[in-house]
Amino acid sequence: MLHQRNANLRTWFRSGEPWIWMNAAAVGISIAAVVGILLLIGWRGFAHFWPASVALIGYQDSGGEQQVVLGEVADSELLPIGQYLESAGSRPDAVPEGMVQIERWLIKTGNRRVAAPDFRWLVAHRIDTIDYPPDVVVLERLEWGNAYGYLENVREGANIVSEGAAAWADLRDRLDRVDRLREETEELEQGRLFSINYQLEQLRLERRSLELGEKSSDAVAAANAELDVREQRLLADYEVAEAALRAMREELRRDALTLTTAGGQSIDVNLSQVMRAWQPNRMSWIDKLGHYAQSLGHFLTDDPREANTEGGIFPAIFGTVMMVLLMSLLVTPFGVVAAVYLREYAHQGPFVRLIRIAVNNLAGVPSIVYGVFGLGFFVYFLGGSLDALFFPEALPSPTFGTPGLLWASLTLALLTVPVVIVSTEEGLTRIPRSLREGSLALGATKAETLFKVVLPVASPSILTGVILAVARAAGEVAPLMLVGVVKLAPALPLDGNFPYLHLERKFMHLGFHIYDVGFQSPNVEAARPLVYATALLLVILIIFLNLTAIMLRNRLENRYRGVEG
Amino acid sequence: MAGEAGLSKLPRSRRLVNAITARVVALGGAAVIAAIALIFFYLLWVVAPIFAGAEVETGERYVLDPAEPLLVEANDSEEIAVRVAASGTATFFEIDGGRVRDRVDLGRELTAVQPLADQTGMYAILDADGAMSFIQATYPISFAGENRTITPKLDFVFEDAWLDVGAVDAFDVHYGNFEVLIATVNGRQLSVRRYRDAEPGFELEFPQRGQYQLRRAYDRLYFGPRGRWVYLVSHAGAVEVVDLTRPTAPAELYVGRIAAEDSRISDVAPLLGRYSLLVADQQGRISQWFMIRGEFGQSLEQVRHFDLGAPARRIIPEPRRKGFAAIDAQDRLHLFYTTSARDLARHDLLPAEVAAASITPRSDLLLTASPDGTVQGYHLKNEHPEISFSTLWSKIWYEGYEEPIYSWQSSSADNDFEPKFSLTPLLFGTLKGAFYAMVVAVPVAIMGALYTAYFMAPAMRRIVKPGIEIMAALPTVILGFLAGLWLAPLIEANLTAVMAILLVMPAGTLLTAWLWSRLPERLTRPFGGWYGLLVLPVLIGTVWLAFALGPWIELSLFGGNAQAWILENLGLNYDQRNALVVGLAMGLAVIPTIFSIAEDAIYGVPTHLINGSLALGATPWQTLMRVVILTASPGIFSAVMIGLGRAVGETMIVLMATGNTPVMDMNIFEGMRTFAANIAVELPESEVGSTHYRILFLAAMVLFLLTFVFNTVAELVRQRLRTRYGNL
Repeated sequence: MLHQRNANLRTWFRSGEPWIWMNAAAVGISIAAVVGILLLIGWRGFAHFWPASVALIGYQDSGGEQQVVLGEVADSELLPIGQYLESAGSRPDAVPEGMVQIERWLIKTGNRRVAAPDFRWLVAHRIDTIDYPPDVVVLERLEWGNAYGYLENVREGANIVSEGAAAWADLRDRLDRVDRLREETEELEQGRLFSINYQLEQLRLERRSLELGEKSSDAVAAANAELDVREQRLLADYEVAEAALRAMREELRRDALTLTTAGGQSIDVNLSQVMRAWQPNRMSWIDKLGHYAQSLGHFLTDDPREANTEGGIFPAIFGTVMMVLLMSLLVTPFGVVAAVYLREYAHQGPFVRLIRIAVNNLAGVPSIVYGVFGLGFFVYFLGGSLDALFFPEALPSPTFGTPGLLWASLTLALLTVPVVIVSTEEGLTRIPRSLREGSLALGATKAETLFKVVLPVASPSILTGVILAVARAAGEVAPLMLVGVVKLAPALPLDGNFPYLHLERKFMHLGFHIYDVGFQSPNVEAARPLVYATALLLVILIIFLNLTAIMLRNRLENRYRGVEG
Repeated sequence: MAGEAGLSKLPRSRRLVNAITARVVALGGAAVIAAIALIFFYLLWVVAPIFAGAEVETGERYVLDPAEPLLVEANDSEEIAVRVAASGTATFFEIDGGRVRDRVDLGRELTAVQPLADQTGMYAILDADGAMSFIQATYPISFAGENRTITPKLDFVFEDAWLDVGAVDAFDVHYGNFEVLIATVNGRQLSVRRYRDAEPGFELEFPQRGQYQLRRAYDRLYFGPRGRWVYLVSHAGAVEVVDLTRPTAPAELYVGRIAAEDSRISDVAPLLGRYSLLVADQQGRISQWFMIRGEFGQSLEQVRHFDLGAPARRIIPEPRRKGFAAIDAQDRLHLFYTTSARDLARHDLLPAEVAAASITPRSDLLLTASPDGTVQGYHLKNEHPEISFSTLWSKIWYEGYEEPIYSWQSSSADNDFEPKFSLTPLLFGTLKGAFYAMVVAVPVAIMGALYTAYFMAPAMRRIVKPGIEIMAALPTVILGFLAGLWLAPLIEANLTAVMAILLVMPAGTLLTAWLWSRLPERLTRPFGGWYGLLVLPVLIGTVWLAFALGPWIELSLFGGNAQAWILENLGLNYDQRNALVVGLAMGLAVIPTIFSIAEDAIYGVPTHLINGSLALGATPWQTLMRVVILTASPGIFSAVMIGLGRAVGETMIVLMATGNTPVMDMNIFEGMRTFAANIAVELPESEVGSTHYRILFLAAMVLFLLTFVFNTVAELVRQRLRTRYGNL
């Protein structure tokens, strides 16, 4: 009997069936990995904006004393007992008998600078009570992250205007006022004041270029006098705007509130420091959905705060889009022309084959190598020469001789040009000979055939190539770190000051934002949700682009069926 | 062309458009192709100078008044030089033109002038009566409009300048950290004075003294690094090193020889930082020695040597680098560099008795002074002497190390730091990362490709293939971030569980397969091509099982802490961000590449081959193993090569998922530093045109060539595959 079963097993193995299953498992692993990663990013990224309930947790600390904390449960994990004991350094008897794993919760307690640290690990088996008090207030502060506590009163100057239950409604009204004021202040700061500063800097450069120029001293004096007049006018403008700004800031700081923490401490918070306030434990899920949408909006449209760990990512989105747009403007003509040359104009021989291999290879060259080349050749060599020729007045501070938007776009254009070439060539190859010959036979020149017949038919594959190039460029970080991306750009590359598009400026980028916030920020725990949200946005963008490319390719295939038929 | 004749009848404008288009297209094509070539040649152009040798050119000759020179030195900007003569006069002259700018009389005849280490333009001077003082040459710049003028000045450093040190055979001074140490040797007596709170402009007061009886008399004395010890050298080659960590109580550190028994020493000079001594002997050999901590305490060891071919007369060390020049008895100048052991250049000097010489801080000008009052300049073009093939790829014996090692350490806070530019640890790290990534990716991707191309139901394949291919487009920064911030802590906390997956998952799959084969065929048949989906719950279940069992296994086998157990029993360190994490994350990034190309190759195997094999009675599995895989093997190989190329050049994942320490250890639980990550970290901070900058370009070029080789091999193999299919 046993013998027979062994023989069975042996034939079963020999049939290859188990290996087929192993191969299937490999596919399964790949699918699980793809889906798992997308789910993980999606879950964590979307969860970031959900107003989590705030728990009041009572627990015993390692000394056996009763403690309470107020905060959101941010994470939980299981830790092998050995590692836990080693890291905690506590005596074995502090752990219940027979436990092999310790469950611990990460509580976001906020209130930075009042009760450090703002994240706390609690061991689950020491927790006694968990409550969700309805009157807990969460404040999103401009600095130092969230604050959690109970609202005690609202003050105007030194006078208490409302207390207890009435305070909450009052606070909402006053926050609306602060919001409006804040918006106006920002408009003034980033609009008029920024523009005046920019013009003053331009005046300084004009003056310097006068010094460097070869005009007669009279002409220089006259021009200088004119510049003086303009400068005086700008400075006067600046005074006025500054005074207005000061007054607005004073208004902004009028109100304040007092918050009591779980530990019974009072925190004074000026309303100018409060972005938003909410009572998560009292919110219905519709309220929460509204809050969610608002958070998402802030995330997409606000500037980052607190060393990028709070606030929005608008400049990073804007920078990524600008860079990708510029890059596609550069890469499309060159990629298409190169492909047309290789396929339609060049003599098909060993040389063209060699070039094709080189182009294919280039697609496999690591992106960091392009970054190195971009930094050396574009930034230092080309940029340095441009500065010496056209911007001597700004030297020694470089204009184009430093990493910036233009060089980043050029570098990425070079990086993605093989993608466009390969895709376009593929499209050109698929065009039936009969189509070209028909056009030529009707008397069209080669150029006319190209523009009126070949390129239109090949346009979907060109578009596919460009989309794939854009998707690649949007996700590429390593070369950008060398040629133009910064963690915090002082100004967007596009604004209302002449010449409007500032190609020499440094910019922010979604991918670099992930790296920087996730790995270079001092408070990784606080930054993590934001990184997940940023990653989610980038993933959505890139998958969307790729799916578009795939759909285009499918449609293209159908179209050729039509052409051939 | 056939069309050309007809073309001439066309209207002019159409002809013009046609011609212009042809030109523009050709030009554009050429431009793109030129851009590709440009990348390689630009990298080469930046890298090339580091391998160039040095050049020496005879420069200007300056004629000053005849006097026995004790010192000649140029200022930092190489505009003005000073010569201090035994007569006690210091003469400042312009390097461009030689006009004498100033002459300062110190008022005493001098016997020695000694530049102070770490103090630019500061010198200790000694007169014939044993009085010592300190002077400083400064070169303040003033502007009158656009005109820049330098006015050289010579001042005493301390108030009430002259100290009595008595008769000495040799002396050296260390000044740093508000402390002046003066060491003198007289016969067999070593005397040390320490002046604390030494500040320029104030008096040196209340010396603390130390005395030490030497084994014998010595005629040369040099301070070691930061005054921690002194080297004493006799002309016969005896050496004694005396510890001065407590200057009031000098102690023996080492006694020995620094040259062969019968040789005579012609010159000794400390190298920048004073860790090393350079010793020139009458046989024409210059050797480098430094202190090494060994089994029996510290000892002075010879590390490397240089041959001049003629007796050496004088060593002139470079003030800001670890290189030196030497003059031999035939008046030839040699340029050497210690770290790279390079013999850089030789040059015949103009015949003259060289009494004093120095190299400028920028290492591009050598000044020699003769008693007849002439000072001769020599231009040195010696920008990257620290690099040779061996410093990049071989073990190098760096100062202060017990043995030659591979090391990458490009910068440090110290000025006298010896940069370590070995690319070997980086290459090792690159290959280590790629290796672990391939260990993860190759089996999964190829097995997955086999199943997808050969067994999978077409309906499922239409979704699975693009689904996995989309992974290739997923930005690596996201994979790296997940690896560093999510996977690494997860693995650290569940190491046993992760290891258990390796066993549980295949076992679970096989068990499922066995149970499946027991089911009646009419039930299983419709699911023939859907195993990939059916197996998913099993996979998830096994992962859950592994995580559930992990802590129990860990407690019973590893005492509850797997990391500690690994360190104790296998001697392996555990870093949170390690090669395992990189392998998994980078493996995941490479899987779609390999999968996609391999799947294409397998799917492209002609059906008549498969049908033939099946018709001859082979099972599907036998057909796969004997026919399909063999036919598709070049394609699979090319897929692996392209995947390897991608893994080698990946930057962000490695940057984020390892600690980026350049260690050379295959330990899967430790990190590494790869070429790509190293470039990303260091290039933004390196100075343009410096050796470091060029070496990072070299690293980029190595990376470029590595991937180019992988891709070309893959491409050639693929082309062979195509011809092979053509024959079938």
